[in-house]
Amino acid sequence: MSAPVTDRVHPLLSKKVLTWAGRGLLLLGIVVIVLFPLSPSRSAQNTVILALVLAIGATGLNIITGYAGYLALSQGAFLGIGAYVAAIMSRTLTVVDDRGITVPAISPFVWIPLAGIVAAIIASLLALVTYRTRGPSFVIITIAFLFLVQFIAVQWVPVTNGTAGITMPLPDWPREFGRWPFHLVLVAVLALALLTSWAIRRSKFGTGLIAIREDEGKAGTVGINAPVYKILAFGASALFTGMAGAVYGYYVTFVDPINMFSILVSVQMVLAVILGGRGTLFGPVLGAFIIEPANALANGAFGGGNSRLVLFGALLILLVILLPKGIIPSVAGLIERLRTRGTVGLSGARLSVVERPLPPAVDRPAPSSKPLLEVRGLYRSFGGNKAVNDCSFTVPEGSITALIGPNGSGKTTVFNLISGSMTAERGEILLDGERIDTLAPWSRAHRGIGRTFQITRLFKEMTVLENVVAPLRDFSVKQLGAGAVSGSEARRAEELLDFVGMAAYRDARAGSLSYGQQKLVELAQVLMLDPKLILLDEPAGGINPTLIERMGGLIRELNQQGTTFLLVEHNMPFVLGLCDPIRVLARGSVIAEGNPDEIQRNPAVLDAYLGDDFLLTGESKTGSVPAVDWTKK
Amino acid sequence: MNLLIQTLISGALIGAVYALMASGLTLIFGVMRVINLAHGAFAILAAFLTWTLWSQFGIDPIVAIPIVTLVMFGIGWLVYVGSVRYVRGAHVSMSVLVAFGIALVLEGIMGFVWGNTAHVVSAPYQSESIVLGPFYIREDALIAAGVAVLVLLALQLVLHRTWKGRAIRAASVNESGALLVGVSVNQVAAFAFAIGIGTLGAAGAMISVIYPFVPGSHYQWIARLLAIVVLGGLGSLSGAVIGALVIGMGELLATAYIGAQWPIAVPFLVIFIVLLVRPQGIRGTRLREDAVA
Repeated sequence: MSAPVTDRVHPLLSKKVLTWAGRGLLLLGIVVIVLFPLSPSRSAQNTVILALVLAIGATGLNIITGYAGYLALSQGAFLGIGAYVAAIMSRTLTVVDDRGITVPAISPFVWIPLAGIVAAIIASLLALVTYRTRGPSFVIITIAFLFLVQFIAVQWVPVTNGTAGITMPLPDWPREFGRWPFHLVLVAVLALALLTSWAIRRSKFGTGLIAIREDEGKAGTVGINAPVYKILAFGASALFTGMAGAVYGYYVTFVDPINMFSILVSVQMVLAVILGGRGTLFGPVLGAFIIEPANALANGAFGGGNSRLVLFGALLILLVILLPKGIIPSVAGLIERLRTRGTVGLSGARLSVVERPLPPAVDRPAPSSKPLLEVRGLYRSFGGNKAVNDCSFTVPEGSITALIGPNGSGKTTVFNLISGSMTAERGEILLDGERIDTLAPWSRAHRGIGRTFQITRLFKEMTVLENVVAPLRDFSVKQLGAGAVSGSEARRAEELLDFVGMAAYRDARAGSLSYGQQKLVELAQVLMLDPKLILLDEPAGGINPTLIERMGGLIRELNQQGTTFLLVEHNMPFVLGLCDPIRVLARGSVIAEGNPDEIQRNPAVLDAYLGDDFLLTGESKTGSVPAVDWTKK
Repeated sequence: MNLLIQTLISGALIGAVYALMASGLTLIFGVMRVINLAHGAFAILAAFLTWTLWSQFGIDPIVAIPIVTLVMFGIGWLVYVGSVRYVRGAHVSMSVLVAFGIALVLEGIMGFVWGNTAHVVSAPYQSESIVLGPFYIREDALIAAGVAVLVLLALQLVLHRTWKGRAIRAASVNESGALLVGVSVNQVAAFAFAIGIGTLGAAGAMISVIYPFVPGSHYQWIARLLAIVVLGGLGSLSGAVIGALVIGMGELLATAYIGAQWPIAVPFLVIFIVLLVRPQGIRGTRLREDAVA
């Protein structure tokens, strides 16, 4: 939020001081952590090494839980997989040294990258097979995955040595190096993990993940290929965790199924992410460096075992109930509140809708007879309810076509079938003569279909500008690495925001806007796709008359520039003044088609929808909203 | 052939007990959309309570059932009021963590109170069998199944014949709708949680005779119960019963025909396959996600 900052802000709370304070703390943290093995306490050294392992796992977990919003209780499995990879390789590739003892051919450290890659591949496979699984099911499946991996480690005796586990070789470096090699390697892996996390957050890839977190269904309709995003995110989250696992196994010198795949490890990682702050860069690290010492305390001072369980259990409950956002976001929120106390934010400002003159209602070019969208014999049922039942119609290129009909006649379901949010049981959908009914929502978006929703579905935690730049016109791996808000895109997004009259709100959080404002932003968001066809679900529903007029003007202007519209709407004056042709839907199929005059006189339409007392009189003066007589005959 | 029938009989009996345990899990999910990962831990707690009643006061597990059920009902109520209440309706990733936290706390407390050695209650009917032609029916399993069926029937009566039961079903179908027609969803949820844990108490009393248990056994139980409700369809009571019978028989078939290690993996494989192939389970319905509440 860019609330205007007045000179009343306390000098200690100015942006500059806070930035430098943050950097100072960060630098201090880095120095202390990197040089920690200088500490005389062996047990403290041990705690810091374990905290580093935990921090790497938590930083990885943050990519899927913090950014993409998928809670996974399987993160510990990747630590174990990494440890097993290094252990198995060290056990397999051995030489007999000059004293006749079998030793690993090379240092187990060599296997760190391999451990990371194996973990990443397995994580990607997990994401691939679970790409449709969300919410509670996803949490359950990650638990099942963890236990299945443990089961395999127990059963696959020839490779894993079963429950007996694998003993790792002792470090092969001089004694005086002590734990420095373990420590420094883990610091390096953590640095890599943080760098990756930072790069992801700043890229298009990161914006896509956050869009998935906010609303995965909606993300698909603006061109975000969620399965690919999730597969990559899972791979990235497991990569460094697997690498840390290889070091961890070597450090503890013993790799066995019970300890390596204990669900408590996963729980500690989840705790670290939530305690520090989901979705923040350093939160998981901070969380890990709180959790691990607490763990050491429970083990040391209170005898471990049961007290550790009670500690983590109670911590989990209290944290979720009392501090669900985590430390970093809570502190940041507190500082922001102190900073902006007494100042006025934007959200109270009045929206002056007509900032630009609306185009006059000139005769638009007659729609060509060529259909842009063609729907043939579509079926879709929910249980016994045939929501869409042999529905066929066309949307001529260059037209503003309306789809009207009584509630429950299947209009929104037709929209969902066209945009790909649902798949039809039968029937064909053609865009520009090409079958699209088997394509995923994002592919349809890439081919030029944009849609809005009856109840707006913006990505609420993102700013208005981020919302508008989120849509993707195509998919390429290269593009994932691009900056989240690049120059040309930002300019285009600002133009579009200007077009819908929402430019003043570009940095406001989307969730803080009013419903009508969200409708306008959602339109701008869809326009970012440069769609050939825009599906509008009740563009005039639930907003005030001035805004309705504005919406009608925008639609007309875009149409003059060549965009085709299909809209669902109950506001009959709005439809009759704007749309031609009109398709009338009842009980899932089209019962009438024609221009507004024909529709108003069609007895079937009057019977099914408008009612025989429907009367529309008066010619439109402005061309936007005709006068209406709603009185009965 | 005889082995198959014998396995199916034993599987159905143990499946009935699973059904009683899973019904509470699915009821709680249905009403408050909370996956109670502590369900296994509550079951083990009930088993320990039964063990104490038996070893300290010589109370037979069957006699202990009403006592344990009532105590667990009270504990369920307290736990709901003390913690679950705050995450009802929150995102599932939050509520699931609270439930897991409860499981860990219970595991730790049970470890402190009863220790981490295996316990089992020995009742006179424990190692007896009824011989039916070529088949053996374990008496303890038969009694447990009988108790489970009775409690499940009582649960059905409560849900379908009482005002509270209707309120529970209303709240599970549409929370805001229930609120609008005067159902205090919070109270109903507390009652549903307590009922879910209470009926689990009856089942826990019975399993204390059939399976040896330690505090850490709850992981195995929650895995099994999750597999059952996932298979049956999250939130569906009839689905839980069907799922329980399938898992009960499936585990014993895996033991009889594949190997003694495999029952451990059955629940996880079932969860994986069901969620990938038919996420809504046997009796669950896929809801329209776009429809607005």
